[in-house]
Amino acid sequence: MKAAPQALIAEITHRCPLHCVYCSNPIQMQGAAHELTTGQWTGIIRQSAQLGCWHLHLTGGEPLLRRDAEDLVRAGRESGLYVNLITSGLGLTSARLAALVAAGLDHIQLSFQDSQETPANTFAGTRAHSQKLRVAEWIRNHRIAFTVNLVIHRQNIDRLEELIGFAEQLNADKLEIANVQYYGWALRNQAALLPSREQFRASLPVIEAARERLSGKMRIDYVLPDYYAKYPKACMGGWGRGLLLIDPAGRAMPCHSAGVIPGLEFPNAATESLRTIWEDSPVFERFRGEQWMQEPCRSCERKTIDFGGCRCQAMLLAGDAAATDPVCSLSPKRSVVDGLAQPIPPQQNETPRWVYRIDPVA
Amino acid sequence: MTGLERRPLLKPGCRLSPAGDVLLIPEGVLRLQGPATRIVQSCDGSKTVAEIVATLLDQFPAADQARVSEETSAFLTKLAGRGAIEFV
Repeated sequence: MKAAPQALIAEITHRCPLHCVYCSNPIQMQGAAHELTTGQWTGIIRQSAQLGCWHLHLTGGEPLLRRDAEDLVRAGRESGLYVNLITSGLGLTSARLAALVAAGLDHIQLSFQDSQETPANTFAGTRAHSQKLRVAEWIRNHRIAFTVNLVIHRQNIDRLEELIGFAEQLNADKLEIANVQYYGWALRNQAALLPSREQFRASLPVIEAARERLSGKMRIDYVLPDYYAKYPKACMGGWGRGLLLIDPAGRAMPCHSAGVIPGLEFPNAATESLRTIWEDSPVFERFRGEQWMQEPCRSCERKTIDFGGCRCQAMLLAGDAAATDPVCSLSPKRSVVDGLAQPIPPQQNETPRWVYRIDPVA
Repeated sequence: MTGLERRPLLKPGCRLSPAGDVLLIPEGVLRLQGPATRIVQSCDGSKTVAEIVATLLDQFPAADQARVSEETSAFLTKLAGRGAIEFV
């Protein structure tokens, strides 16, 4: 018997009022016409609890664009799951937040694009910042966990201290401050987003000092830019090991960008049981364990720590989904990553030409 | 105030699973064994650590008082470190 997944990531829609330049959604998105029904989602949520999941993450796109978000929260809570909503805050009112909490919401993750309104709206491609500030106030009227998500990159990493102070003022329990990971739309904007090595290095003591100063008050998770890492991240905690993602059309995937890997046929959770998908489907078996690994992973002692890194990144940068993640310093393809790394910090006259995320066609 | 006079309180968004065998927190789950579930149930902000230890000793009269006190404090410190409780 296989170990059960820890969490179900339910991408309930790809529609979103934001157009973030670093969105991790796939370029090929599912339109509204392909979205699962409320009944299909509640069935999947119940099955995930029976399969052994503890957490339900409702995400998107913007999950609140679905009018049944409250019903899905309730289905999760009634199934015994811990329910987390990952949102931009758009589409939320004070009354709707109260309804979500009444339905059993445990935790809300609210994204911000910056601490300042002008750059925030530029990165989001829409005027979202002031609404988010209102939402943050409403959240603190309820007894739920509150995480602020902030994405940092070449254009704002130098203001890290200010960004941390901003999250502190919002009274978040936790700040997840993440360097952009280069998939989907972010990869298209990589040159404008990747900080220089010096910019990244300068961020580390800032994080360390803030963690010390805010100890016991606000926790800080810092997601590193893996292009500058020595070893790859344990992407998704390992393929098919702990996370099960269902996309808006019901496709079951080990991670949100697995669609970039050719030859994978994703089973659909609307027609197959989650248990069959998790335990028996070829897609989830494909990069499980160690049998698929090549050298240098196969004989590496870190293979049980990072599981060879990210399969999608191996596909995108090394052209082979079974290769060692090329961000690894031991990878024979590491030079590809070094070639992408930015030698200099942004110059005063640097004006990025953004590719904005667009909404899926219906 | 010594550690034993503090009152632990589960933080928002942290709760026991319906079966009581797991503490659900935003980052994951903490599996609870033995008296851990009772200790977590007592983290309501009204009881001091000393009172929680006293209740445990009532339930397990054969247990060594110093050891129960030490282990309860260590467990609560661990929960605080994971962001699951605060002391009020």
